[in-house]
Amino acid sequence: MSVLDDLFRRVPALLMARRNLSRNRIRSGLAVLGIIIGVLAIASLGMFGTTLRTGASQQLGDIGNEISVSPNFQEGIEELTERDVDEIRRAVTDGAVVPVRSESRLVSRGDRQTVTTVYGMENPGALYEAEQGRIPDRLRQGALVGSGTAGLLDVEPGNTISVDGRTYRVAAVLAEQGGISLVSPNNAVIVPVEDVNGTGYSQVVVSADSGQAANESAVAIREALNEREQRVSVFELQSITAGINEFFGILNAFLIGIGSISLVVAGVSILNVMLMSTIERRQEIGVLRAVGVQRGDVIRMILAEAGLLGVAGGVIGAILAVGAGVALNAFVLNDPLATFQAANLLYIVLAVGFGVGTSVLSGLYPAWKAANERPVEALRK
Amino acid sequence: MNHIIELQRVWKRYDTGGEVVEALKDVDFHADPGEFVAVMGPSGSGKSTMLNVLGLLDTPTEGTVYLDGQDVTDLSDREMTVHRKRFIGFIFQSFHLIPTLSALENVEMPTLFGDDPTARDRATHLLERVGLGERLDHRPDQLSGGQKQRVAIARALINEPRILLADEPTGNLDRKTGRSVLDLFDEIRREDDVAVIAVTHDPQLGDYADRTVELIDGRIQ
Repeated sequence: MSVLDDLFRRVPALLMARRNLSRNRIRSGLAVLGIIIGVLAIASLGMFGTTLRTGASQQLGDIGNEISVSPNFQEGIEELTERDVDEIRRAVTDGAVVPVRSESRLVSRGDRQTVTTVYGMENPGALYEAEQGRIPDRLRQGALVGSGTAGLLDVEPGNTISVDGRTYRVAAVLAEQGGISLVSPNNAVIVPVEDVNGTGYSQVVVSADSGQAANESAVAIREALNEREQRVSVFELQSITAGINEFFGILNAFLIGIGSISLVVAGVSILNVMLMSTIERRQEIGVLRAVGVQRGDVIRMILAEAGLLGVAGGVIGAILAVGAGVALNAFVLNDPLATFQAANLLYIVLAVGFGVGTSVLSGLYPAWKAANERPVEALRK
Repeated sequence: MNHIIELQRVWKRYDTGGEVVEALKDVDFHADPGEFVAVMGPSGSGKSTMLNVLGLLDTPTEGTVYLDGQDVTDLSDREMTVHRKRFIGFIFQSFHLIPTLSALENVEMPTLFGDDPTARDRATHLLERVGLGERLDHRPDQLSGGQKQRVAIARALINEPRILLADEPTGNLDRKTGRSVLDLFDEIRREDDVAVIAVTHDPQLGDYADRTVELIDGRIQ
């Protein structure tokens, strides 16, 4: 005896339901199609939302891990002192502290020249990666050139460039940073911090290991430096990413809401199909009742029919949704496997559950109606 | 008292929009195990109503119904269903087989909802008994009228009932086929000690019945 036969033997309502559905295949098929569309809509719109969010956070990069500390100009503080930097170093337990000086300078190589931002940093390796060459642990001599500037001046490691008449040997060309960055290196030149005029710093960038560590550092820095007067303003990019995440959460809920409408419509069509089929089978149900089938069993049988429609629609819809998700992620993110993540699984489970639930709910009224008809009335010719 | 079923002073009134129709008027009726009773009468005489009351499908307005000595007049729907399943087999004029189920499954149908491990064997045996041992897996639309009625009879017997209620059992069959169905009834009531109560127009049924009851205008004559 096959597994299916065994199941039918245990749950006779399923056997009856399965046979009843096969009676009018086109009608059952159309009812299933409604559920498929609904489940597909919810699951794929949910996954679409996930893809958008993933794409956006790829664009944003690791910025959630960085915070920027800058002097509070409103209080008349123009720059951060060595003492401020020391206090920041003490406050940050987990992450690199990079004090930055910056100004605009004329940079040239041979007959090419450009005016660009020049950053003075002691330890730029904490923020950037080299595309060519190597970033020294401590930048004491030589310069690092951002990818944009490097292209403009046609430099590579080992060349010399001149910044305001002073000559530097290029140690590395930096990798292009795609996302938003607090101190974008792309169109800049980085030189040792002593070479930039001034005694203080225009900002201090803290690069933590995680978003949470960044947040803790921000709190600690505020406590340490802003206790007596508001010396610094601390800018956390995390607040932007949190806002973006919230936005995508709302967008997802909206998309799923639209998908749900189609499922509700599918539910109405199942209600219609079940109602019609129970009315057609009035006499049969009367016979069932006459030969000793209880009301509850009639209800179970019709709910099983509705449930089967829902399960069939849900499973097919889920498979199609995974297919759609793979196609979407292959196209948008170039990573079809991005479909298989927890959030998407949740959407699929949600959609299938909602689909089956809608179907069973839609079966309730026809089932109740069929079960409560008096067999005498139903059998009357 | 050894009546398997008995109606005492049964009245059935229907309220059809202001006008009260009396379908059964003070009906006294009984049947004993192994007895074949034919209930005859013109259409509209209340035969079907009487059969419905006997079959616990309908409750009388007045009077009492006894099944195997027990008063079953005011049972709940659930209890009536249980009693129908245990005591009564139904046979209808238009067979009322489930078109999606095979002959075997149709016979098993009254036992489907409930744990009954021997049902399949009993159903097979019953179909063999009514001469359809070769047609177990045929669907109703692959069977002739007489064969369908035999499946229906096997279905009625699956729970070993004490009473067989037949509503115009030969009404949709030609004379010869009708006769073979009636022969089957005769065999069943003799071998299984089942009371057979048949409502009919068919005069040939009178030849088989131990007793004929005539119902006119809701009264037994």
